[in-house]
Amino acid sequence: MYDINFQFFIDSDTNPFILFDSSGKIIYLNNSAEILFGYVSKAELYDMTLRYAPATFGSKHTILTLNYDSFSFYAIDVGYESEEQIYIRLYNKPRIKQNIKIDKNKFVLTDINILLEANITLFKIKNSNNLKLMTDPDIPKFKIEQNNFSKLLRKTLNSFTTSSYIDITLKLLIGEHIIINEKRYSIVQLSILSDRRDEIKDSEISTLAKESFITSIFKNNSIILEIPLLID
Amino acid sequence: MYNFITKSPTIHEIIKGLELTKELFVSSIIIGEAHTGKKGLINHLFSSSLPRVSAYNQTELEDFLNHYDELIITDFEQITNTHQYNFNNKKIIATANYITNQNSIDDIFAFIYNMPSLKEREEDIEYLSQLFLKEASSTLMVEKDVDISDLKLDLSQNTKSLKKSIYRYVVIKSIQEEEIRESIYHFLYKNMGGNNAYKEYLELYEKPIIEAGLKKYHSQLKLSSILGINRNTLRKKILEHKIDV
Repeated sequence: MYDINFQFFIDSDTNPFILFDSSGKIIYLNNSAEILFGYVSKAELYDMTLRYAPATFGSKHTILTLNYDSFSFYAIDVGYESEEQIYIRLYNKPRIKQNIKIDKNKFVLTDINILLEANITLFKIKNSNNLKLMTDPDIPKFKIEQNNFSKLLRKTLNSFTTSSYIDITLKLLIGEHIIINEKRYSIVQLSILSDRRDEIKDSEISTLAKESFITSIFKNNSIILEIPLLID
Repeated sequence: MYNFITKSPTIHEIIKGLELTKELFVSSIIIGEAHTGKKGLINHLFSSSLPRVSAYNQTELEDFLNHYDELIITDFEQITNTHQYNFNNKKIIATANYITNQNSIDDIFAFIYNMPSLKEREEDIEYLSQLFLKEASSTLMVEKDVDISDLKLDLSQNTKSLKKSIYRYVVIKSIQEEEIRESIYHFLYKNMGGNNAYKEYLELYEKPIIEAGLKKYHSQLKLSSILGINRNTLRKKILEHKIDV
């Protein structure tokens, strides 16, 4: 009989897996679940676990759509073998493969901070919102289609002209990757948070983002752009 | 190298934006009324590095777009149909007096700057007035200082009308008696005719003398005595020449 280390397999699973005790405390979670907790609260997931729990011992598969930022799930499993422990497993929605050819002439190594600063300068000429910028100066230069990306930034910032404050954060996401043409790339996240925003240009922003392999996430008061760190 | 001097905070921000993206492959446009300094600003920042073409000459524009990946296009408002040109994968630095098609501008340019008119740049009005005054005094070789505090500055065409109004004022303020005579001579020589010319052109003398006198002495009684005419005659002339009192 083999001694199988199931924990290794669960840890490596890209579908988030969480095991709670009867009081809602997390006993175990795999790597994907750890990343997911950056975008959803423990209480929210525990509530959902109880809501979709089977009537008796065993597990129950439920088809439903869940979206947390860039995470999308199409189903969950909830199960338990005792009164003390209950698990939830969330099934990742398959992503459409991005097989668009990158035109290497268009994408050039760029300091994203310069484009961001130039766009903020333009925005500030016309708007007097209280704007704060938190940026990571250590983000390396990476390949950007500069004109397209600047248009994307302009339109994104212009969605916040009526806001009383705008908080912009630029950071490298640790442990998350995006796959383009079979290659894994790190992600630079640009998040713009506020108290209110205009949604009219969301579809234009989404189109411009796609042209640069950027994932755009729209919420009531914020827009998040997940930009692949294209180096080669 | 062109110099561009401004005291306007807005234009300093535009310069900052353009400086930041100067080395990047992004397209920018400056939109604003004529004679606000758009071309001067572009010359100041890009003239040594980029070829320049005016959209007034559409054949040349097409030729430039075929030959260069990076270029300056002035008078962009002259392009009524942007689809007839290929702006893809080009770095365009442009100026326009106004926008004809907002969607095309939005599509081509990453950075869209609005140049404020001179009326919106209080700081520049004073600075440019003094600059033009100095320039006019030097060009016209006027030795005495000219005070322009009374001048109503013409900002209707931004720097163009401001400069014109200051040059004109410097000429008027520095003109001497002999030049006034000479000037009237040329004017009359050119325009005189009809059968009532004496009375018609008497206004050239009578109107300014009464206006200047009223401003200087504030009283018709006093002025009539200075001019050595009856005050009823003065009153009649004021009405005749429709002079504000």
